[in-house]
Order: sequence, then C-alpha cells, then structure tokens
Amino acid sequence: MIHLKVTNLHKRFGGNHVLKGVNFEVNGPELIGLIGPNGAGKTTLTNVLDGAIKPTSGTVYLGEERIDQLQPYQVARAGLGRTFQVTRSFRRMTVLENLYVPALAMGNTSGTAEMKEKAMDVLEFLTIDHLRNEFAQALSGGQQKLLELGRLLMLSPDVVILDEPFAGVHPRLMEVIYAYIRRVNEAGAAIIIISHQMDSIFSLSDRLLVLNFGDLIADGPPDEVKNDPAVIEAYLGSDDEEEDAA
Amino acid sequence: MKKQIPNLAGGMFLILLLVFPLVYSKGDYDYIMHIMITGFFYAILAASWSMLSGYAGQFSFGHMGFMAIGAYTTGLFCHYFYISPEPTGLCTEMGFFGQYLIVVNPIGVTSTTLTQDCLRQAMDVWGDTVKVTPMPVFLGILLGTIMGGFAGFLVGMLVLRLRAAYLALFTLGFSEILKATISAEINITRGQAGLELPPLYPDGITLLGHYYGPTAKLPPYYTMLGLLLICLLILTWLARSKFGLFVRALREDQDAAAALGVNTVRYKVLVFTVTCAMAAAAGAVQGHYVQIITPNMLFLLQMSLVVAMAVIGGIENFVAAAIGAIILQVVLELLRNSFVIGGVEVDMTIWRLVIFGLLLMITLRFFRNGLIAPIIAFFGREGVAEETVAKRSAGSQEAGS
Amino acid sequence: MLFFGVVIWMIVWSIIGSIMIKRRYLARDLDTSNANFMGAMAGAALGPVGIAALWSRTPTKSGYLTVGLGLLTVLIVAVTFSFADPENICVTSGGFVASQFVNGLIIGIIYGFMALGLSLIFSILGVVSFAHGEFYMIGGMSVYYITAVWFPGVSPLIGVMGACAIAFVLGAVFERLMLTPMYHGKIDRPVEYGILVTFGLAFTLQYFVQATAGANPVKVQRYLSFPRWQFPEDGDPVWIKTSRGSLTLFDQVSISSPRLTAALTCIFVLLALLYLLHRTWTGKALRAVSQDREGAAIAGINPDRMNMLAFALGGMIAALAGALLVQAFSWLPQVGAIPAMRSFVIVVLGGLGSLPGAFLGGIMVGMVEAAGTGCVPDAQKAASYIPAYGMIVLTLTLLLRPTGMFGRRFASSTHGQH
Repeated sequence: MIHLKVTNLHKRFGGNHVLKGVNFEVNGPELIGLIGPNGAGKTTLTNVLDGAIKPTSGTVYLGEERIDQLQPYQVARAGLGRTFQVTRSFRRMTVLENLYVPALAMGNTSGTAEMKEKAMDVLEFLTIDHLRNEFAQALSGGQQKLLELGRLLMLSPDVVILDEPFAGVHPRLMEVIYAYIRRVNEAGAAIIIISHQMDSIFSLSDRLLVLNFGDLIADGPPDEVKNDPAVIEAYLGSDDEEEDAA
Repeated sequence: MKKQIPNLAGGMFLILLLVFPLVYSKGDYDYIMHIMITGFFYAILAASWSMLSGYAGQFSFGHMGFMAIGAYTTGLFCHYFYISPEPTGLCTEMGFFGQYLIVVNPIGVTSTTLTQDCLRQAMDVWGDTVKVTPMPVFLGILLGTIMGGFAGFLVGMLVLRLRAAYLALFTLGFSEILKATISAEINITRGQAGLELPPLYPDGITLLGHYYGPTAKLPPYYTMLGLLLICLLILTWLARSKFGLFVRALREDQDAAAALGVNTVRYKVLVFTVTCAMAAAAGAVQGHYVQIITPNMLFLLQMSLVVAMAVIGGIENFVAAAIGAIILQVVLELLRNSFVIGGVEVDMTIWRLVIFGLLLMITLRFFRNGLIAPIIAFFGREGVAEETVAKRSAGSQEAGS
Repeated sequence: MLFFGVVIWMIVWSIIGSIMIKRRYLARDLDTSNANFMGAMAGAALGPVGIAALWSRTPTKSGYLTVGLGLLTVLIVAVTFSFADPENICVTSGGFVASQFVNGLIIGIIYGFMALGLSLIFSILGVVSFAHGEFYMIGGMSVYYITAVWFPGVSPLIGVMGACAIAFVLGAVFERLMLTPMYHGKIDRPVEYGILVTFGLAFTLQYFVQATAGANPVKVQRYLSFPRWQFPEDGDPVWIKTSRGSLTLFDQVSISSPRLTAALTCIFVLLALLYLLHRTWTGKALRAVSQDREGAAIAGINPDRMNMLAFALGGMIAALAGALLVQAFSWLPQVGAIPAMRSFVIVVLGGLGSLPGAFLGGIMVGMVEAAGTGCVPDAQKAASYIPAYGMIVLTLTLLLRPTGMFGRRFASSTHGQH
C-alpha cells in the first residue's frame, strides 16, 4: 500500500520563505492535481520531495522510509519518480539508451533481453518505437516529453510527479499522455500532476491540492475545491490585479 | 558484413603493431621504435582523456598532472628506497626479516659531486661486501598507478559541483600547482635538473631465448603496447557496461540522471579515478623508459598535444583517440625534416606544430567528431541508420493516414 | 613560530566564524549571501570577540564592515610578521615597503587591465579564452616588428596603435570563422568547444610567431624618456626627481618609465572603455547582451555582432598590455603563458565576468606578488612558488565561492552554470 506522508514542510531560500508548513498525505493509487498561481511553490515542493533540495524543516515519509534527507538517486530508488518542467532527455543517447539508464540504475530487470523487451513495450505504448535507435535530440518536443514519461515507466515508481506534462504538446500526443497517466495509475502508482491546464486537471484527477504563497490552502475533490472561497480568492485575487494592470 | 570492416581493420592494425619490431630492421630502428613507444604513451593519455572529457563530459586540463604523479611516485620510490642486508647506521632505516629498508636522505642537486647521500657513504665503507638491492621497478609503477588513481579520486570528490569552464580552470590550476611544487622542492625532486629513474628492465630481459639489455627498445615497446591494450580493454568494458551508459547520462544531464536513480557522485568520482590511474600508469612506464623526468612534462604544451590528438582522433571515441594519437605522433615526427624552398630554409620542427594547431582548429570547426571516429561510425552504424529511415517513413505514413 | 601560530589561529576562527554567522543568518530568515565571508573575516580579525559581536548584533551586515574587517586581518598579519621576523627588509626599511607598494600597485593596474579583457569576453560569449596570453604576446611582437623591423624609427605610439589594430582584426576574424557555430545550439557543448578552439588558436599563434620571428628574445626601446628634473631644486629630501629611465619619489620610491607609462596608458584606456560601455549605444548594447541575451535580441540588438566586438576588444586589451610591457621585458613567443595564467587567477578571484572584479583582483594580485617577492625569506623558493600561490587562490576560490568577489550567476547555461 502506497503511503506518502508530508509533514510540516518548510523551505527558505535566504530570507525568502517559499514553503510555509505544507502537510498532506497520499494513500493508495490516487490521481492528484497540484495547482496554484505562479510562484506558489509547486516546483520547489517537487524538488524537495525529489531530494534535489533539502527542506529547512519538516519530514517526508514514503512508506516507512524517511526520504527528505536522501539524495535524489536514493529517492528514485525508494520509489518516487518525477519529470521536469523543461524536458530533460539525454540528448545524445538513443531513445532505447534513454530507457536503459533508469532500468539499469534500479536493477529491476534481469538480463538485457528482458530489459529490451520492457523498453520496447514502453516505446510501443508511447507510439515512438520506430525512433528507438535515433538520438533523443532528433525527436520533436512532444516526442521528447513522451520519452521522459517512458523513462519514468522503466523506474516502476510508486509515486510519480509530473511537472507540466501537457505544456507544448500536440493534441494528438495529448491522448497518449492521458492514456499513459491512466495506465500508470491502474498499475497501482499514485500520480501527482502539476499543470496550468485546468481542464485537463479537473477532468483527470480525483483530488486537488492548491498551493498559494507556500501554503496549502485547499485539499479535496475537484468539485469541492472549485467552490472553495480561499481558492477562488487566490485565483480571482490575481485576476483582479491583472485587470487593474490592464 | 560491412559492420565488420572496422574490426578487421583494427585487427590488422594491431597485428601490424605486434609484428613491427620483429620485421623492421633498418638502421634507424631505435629511433622508429622510440617514436612508436612515445606514440603508445600518448595514445594511453589521449584514450583515457577522451573517456573522461568526451565520454563522461568532465572537461579536465589536469591530465598531465596525474601522469606526472605516476611518474614522480615511481621515480621518488626508486630513488629513495633501497633494501640492504646490513644496517648503514647513517640513513633512516627499518629492519624486517633480517633485511633493512633504507630511506636515503635527500641531498638536492648542487651537492651531487661534493657530498654523497647516506647510502653511498655507507657503500663506500662496505666496498663490495654488501649487495644493496634497489626496489623492483614493477612495484614503483604499481604504486604510481595507485597514487594517480587516489589523486583522481580526491580531485573527483572536490569538483563535484564544478562544471564546464570552472572545471577546466580548476584542473588547470591543479596541474600548475603540481608543476610549481615539483620545480620548487629541488631538494627532493631535483627540480629542472630532472629525477633519474632506473630503466624499465634494470637487468635486461630474455624473451624467446634472446637477451635484450636494459636500453633495448623491444621490451619497452611491448610493455607500452600491452599497457595501451589493457587500458583500451578496460575502457571498452566500462563503456559497454552500465558504467558507460551512466557516465554518458551524466554528461548529458546530471540532475535528470540522478532523478532516475543514478548515483551521480559515485560514477563521477569513479570515472576520474579510473582515467587518472591510467594516465599515472602511462607516466610511470614512460618515466622508466626515458629514465629521466622533469617538471617540463607538465607544460601546457604537453597537455595541448594530448587534447589535440584526442580531438583529431575523435573526442567521444577512445579507440579513435588512441589511433589518432599514434598516427599523429608518427606524422609529427615524419614532418620534422626541414627543407629549402627558393633559398629559404623552412624550419619544419616549428612549422609542423603550426600545421598541427591549424588542423586542430579545422577539425573542431568542421569535423566535430574528429577524423577517425566518423570512419568507424560510418561502418558501425550503417545498418542501423537504414533501419531507422525505413521505420521512420513507415511511422510518418501511419501518422499521415 | 609566532607568525604561523597566529595564522593558524586566524584560519581556525575564520572557519568557525563563517559557519556560525551563516547559521545565525539562516535561522533568523535573513539574506545569507555574504554572511559566511563576513563571519570568516570577523573571526580572522578579532577571533571569538569579533564573532560574538557579530552574533549579538545580527542584522548589522554591510559591505563596509566586511571590507574593514578584511583590511584589519591583513594589518594583523603584517604586524605579526614584523614581530616574528624583525630583521626582514620589509620591517626595517620603510622606503623599501613604499617602493614595493607603489610598484605592486602599478603592475597590478596592468594585470587588472589585461584580466579585464578576459572577463569582458567571458561575460558576453561565455568562453574562457585560452588564447589571451597569445594576444598579449602578439601585441608586444607587433610593436617590435612595426617600430624596429618594418618601419624603423617610427613613433612608438604608431607601433602601439598598430598592435591594437592587428589584435582587434585578428580577434574579429577568429570569432567570425571559429566561434559563430556555438551561439545557435549547433554545438552540443559550447563552453568546451570555446575552450578547445581558443586553445587551438593559442597553439597555432605561438608556433606561428616562433616559426616566423625565431626563438630569440627581442627587445624594444623605452617609449618615453623623462627630462632630467627635480623638485624642489635643493630640497632635502627631494620630493620628485626624474632621470631618463625612472622617476624617484622622496629618494625612496623608484618607478621605471616603461611601467609608469604603461600603467598611465592602461588607466586612460580603461576610462575610455568605461565611457564606451556606459555612455555609447554600442557599449550599452554590449552590457545588455551580457545580462540577457534573448532580451537584448528582442530589443533589436544583434548579439552576434556584439560577440565579435567583445572578442576583438578583449583580445585588443591583452595586446595593448603586451604592447606597453614589451619595453620593460624581453619578448619571446612563449611570453604569454604566465600572464595568461595570472589572468585566469584574477578573473576567478574577482568573479568570472565581472569587470570591476577583474580590475580590483588585478591590483590585489599585483600587491601580493610584490609582497611575496620582497618580504618572504628564502627568496629563491618563494620565486619558484609564485605561480603556485596564484593557482592556490584560484582553486580555493572555485571550491569555496565560485562566483568570486563580485561575481554573479549567469542565467544562460552557455556560461557553464546550470
């Protein structure tokens, strides 16, 4: 049973208080949307969960294991995988090699043949199997995004954080990403999606988390969150400012 | 079938190198052999540097520093440590199993003719009655390799956070500090006067019933070639294992590799340790072969030769880098002959380096993968490329329909 | 013994201070950017007292305080040194100290000027030019060829200007031919490419000059001979006295004509450069490109042209330094190596890409070298270690504070930071 528990997480950069005591839990294979205005701390939260930066205080548990003081690679091995906001494929390695890196790092396949079979399976699912021997830099932006998602599949993670998976993706590939999310979710992994595309988030997720200036201001089913006065204020408040500016 | 061409060519090249000393018999035998041995030495450096800088993306200017660590470790070890059955009573010494480990006191450069070190003084008293044994050369080379690897490990740990220009400057600084230290500590290292080393095989060696003296060129030829082959085998094995995959991922994107479970710190340090140990081993063997080492081998020029050889061969393919180094070393030597055009003597000893520099720049600008690596890649990837083109057109038709 | 004891005491307390003050600022949610450096200085200068004072009055952090504490540290080291080695010439002779100080300052200005060129190139192209020393060498060689070989008897001013022109054109042509592919993502690792290709240029230039000019040292007459003059006429001491090759202040401080003219020209050109950078459209465009490449391009600046200008200007600055110093030293094709290394040290110390940092760093390095050669006992060993001192500063700066004194983080990954 997957159990991610984030307790009283704080992060300060110098005098800048970016996360102000974030608390939430993930139980089982949930599909969670993480939203919030720009500068709310979404990416910082992702980086803290992933181990790329250490929290100033607070704890993160994945199952029984405390992961907030671990290195990123240890977090990945503990079962938390993430994608990056800007696609970061290994540009001068072939598509297959891109998939082999996490497989070998995890050591969760026995033998090259099995690894290749699994990788081909993933590529077929993502509809980029015909590019398997191309360098990743030859792929289009959307295809690179799919490749990054594919690498995550090879990691077989329990918790997946997708940072803006829909940004700049061709509508046809969008369907593939939806299918991907459902497949990963049905395979038993919890997914946290960060996105600015409200339609996708509201239609996909079972549960929404809303961050605003480092505070978690709402946590619940999408319909409930949609009508939460605090959320409306956070979003509308910024709308007001935009109108004023205009 | 076409894929086998590079392997066949490589095998033939190797056989040529293996039989060359046995069939070649012209008057300039020693000179040609010397060029080849130096070529192998540079090939080891270029191959290990291309693994570090091209393959793993850790752009280092300190490779000659690690080479010098290897050379000076074995040099100092063979210079200052001896085994004697009798205590000298003058030196620092330590008894074990009825023998004595003698540590000779450093006497510097100026006093060689005036004062003798403690062991020579003792030997003068003993006459021929006591036989002092120098340290085995092989042990020195082994120590040098280990020290080089250890220094590589330390530098690798220090530069974890440095990238690109910062890393290049740091490693350059490391190399320069080492050079200044060796130049300044004249008492111990003998500075510019040079540290003398025993030959690779101090008592000569008998191969297939033929005796070769300590200064014969054939044994060091096969030693250096053997070392080169061992290094290339290790590098190939590493490149084909997950190590190779991980260091390439490290080169492309360190953070993404870490997020996918790759222990980036371990592989970064490991690649420094392995390649620096190889440079040190090459330096140690070369030191014993030329029998004298000076801090001049740390000049930026030496480093630039290695860099240029690796770049011209192919910076991301260590086999190509090694072949490039051997070929360039031979070509550079062949170009040494000055000639006269229209009454003006062209001093080729300098002009050849100008040509070399221009070749380096042109290769960088127009042949990004070097001159030799693309040839290997052309045959190696032939089938793969066709397959991909076919698949891609199939894929686009599918998408179009 | 006393000296090293004090130095160790300072190092220990500066480490403690750096850690404690940083922690303190972090815990209080304050800006920690310079806290550890200030803590280190307080610890070094005043030991536990300084750290305690800083600790108790936490938010009082300022650049002045840090600089003041730093100067105090230097002063304490100097005083301890004079107690530890009272026979040393640096302690007994005030005139010698003044002379070393002034000469260190003057050579430091020239060092800083040369390093400025390197920093200018880095701030705009993101490339550490490994050919900087060769531009310096080309500058001196050009003056020699113009004034002594091609047009004997021509004014040195023409020679210097000719050297600048040659270096400028060389830099511009090289940039156009070799560096252009790295700007548009055509090269996978642009920083490494830039280093390698400038390295190739250095190699080629050095051997080209050696092949054409030979390996023998050349020398150029000094550009300016002072008239014989002194002021006051019959004073004791004489305040200023000039002879043909040098200028003497208070009978103590002697400055040679080549160095003085070189330093004054450097200051003059530096002022002109500042005017160019801050008052003209081109200069503003240069600075804009160094801060935000894409933004500048949107504002109608052609960044590629600015790259060419920056590389040519940077090379010209190095060549000018060489052209001015060729009258003081004998010139060889290999003469660029040491100034190039020194420039690396200076730009890293000042902060890669920072122009004021490069100039101040140059003056600091000049002073330290003067103190190092003049005051350290066992002069021969000290001289052998001089390159190492600089490189130790370089490696330590890179490890502890990669941004240097005045450095900033470059947003673009082409500058080698991510």
